[in-house]
Amino acid sequence: MNCEELREHYDFYALDIAEEPERGEIRAHLNRKCEVCMAGVKRALETSTMIGASAPAAQPSAQLRRRILASVGSEERRSSWLPAWMAAAAIAAVLVVAVYFAVSSQRYADQAAKLAGEMRSQTAQIVRLTEAFAILSGPSTTEVSFGGAQPRPPQGKVFVNPSRGVLLIASNLPRTPADKIYEMWLIRKGANPVPAGLFQSQDDGSAMHIRPGTVDLASTAAVAVTVENQAGADQPTTTPLIVAALGGSTPR
Amino acid sequence: MGVCTCLPSRDREGVGSRNAGKSTSVVRAGMMLPLILAVYAGPQDRALIARLQRRDPQALAELYDFYGKMAYSLVLRVVRDKAIAEDLVQETFLRVWNRVHSMDCEKGSIGPWLLAIARNRAIDYLRSSAGRERNAVELDEADHAPLYHRMEAEILLSDQARRVKAAMDKLAPNYRTVMELAYFEGLSQSEMAAKMGQPLGTIKTWVRTALQSLRDELGVAVSS
Repeated sequence: MNCEELREHYDFYALDIAEEPERGEIRAHLNRKCEVCMAGVKRALETSTMIGASAPAAQPSAQLRRRILASVGSEERRSSWLPAWMAAAAIAAVLVVAVYFAVSSQRYADQAAKLAGEMRSQTAQIVRLTEAFAILSGPSTTEVSFGGAQPRPPQGKVFVNPSRGVLLIASNLPRTPADKIYEMWLIRKGANPVPAGLFQSQDDGSAMHIRPGTVDLASTAAVAVTVENQAGADQPTTTPLIVAALGGSTPR
Repeated sequence: MGVCTCLPSRDREGVGSRNAGKSTSVVRAGMMLPLILAVYAGPQDRALIARLQRRDPQALAELYDFYGKMAYSLVLRVVRDKAIAEDLVQETFLRVWNRVHSMDCEKGSIGPWLLAIARNRAIDYLRSSAGRERNAVELDEADHAPLYHRMEAEILLSDQARRVKAAMDKLAPNYRTVMELAYFEGLSQSEMAAKMGQPLGTIKTWVRTALQSLRDELGVAVSS
């Protein structure tokens, strides 16, 4: 085809809607630098380009510019402080969050440990109460009161069960010095006292102490309490504060 | 193809300074704005092309600052999806970056070339995603970069765009429809004929008449 025959197809070519064989012919003319077709297609392209420029204006996102520059290996220099600032802010935020969670985690761990401690304490208390209840409810348990004759003496009762142990319930116990503790003894007939455990009184002067295990009532004359050093003693070193003679015990 | 060494002294008058000139001209020059922009447009395009050919990333940033919104608007009009439009615009600028050596920096008009690439990317995407037939022999903008040599730079000015839009609005509905189907929807003549229920010959006539009407309208506008 010659240029004259192709002339009316330049617009179609510029719009990319030319059909064969005209499309191929125009392309061939352009490839061989045909000045007539080059000029004709260029005029057609000017019109189609103007149509493109008349598209409704729209705003791309701010990220697009950075994406394009980054894709050719270029950083955005003019606003490079902004990503740095944002990165610093992000790092700071992450640190704050990390510290927050670390603190929270530690706090939760502390709370969990505290609760676990309380649970262990309550469990131990339940065990003690269960032991105390077993002694109190045992058919072979005998009880002895003490302290009734003193002006404001430690008062209370001792419960002895041959198979379950000894239960001491006291009140009016004086506060021990800081380095001292109460120690309970099983006073045996014709033999040295046997240590029966350490305990402290409550702020109100009350105390409950259990020495689990078997007790030989025949060889045990009394249950006594002395004040000893924190580590306890093998034998009493002070005058007993409490002495409950089992000879006068009564079956419950 | 060699790298242009032309106009090194004009490098600092890139598109960015052109924008600065535009903003101040609006205040100072009023009605003189289109003329000022037309005067400024040519040499900076040459300098910009030269800098792009020297792989100056800042030149690409300036190119985006001037044509990015225009390319995005065109592509979005075609694909009607913001995320896809941004991907295609990125692809367009990369294509320009990689093929700018095919453009003669003494003669090239990079804006129209870039818009042609953008439009071709968008139409190609549209045809592919719709499962429509893609042209076996596409208008290869890189091979034909010379087609954009010495193209009038002011055809992309916003004032001219408004005239084109007004001229499009003046077209009879059937003419406007074929222009939009062809340019923004990428329909072939046969597809337009099927869509509009018209013979192929009628579609050809409508396209030619629509384009001639646009030229006549714009010619009147320009001369006035």
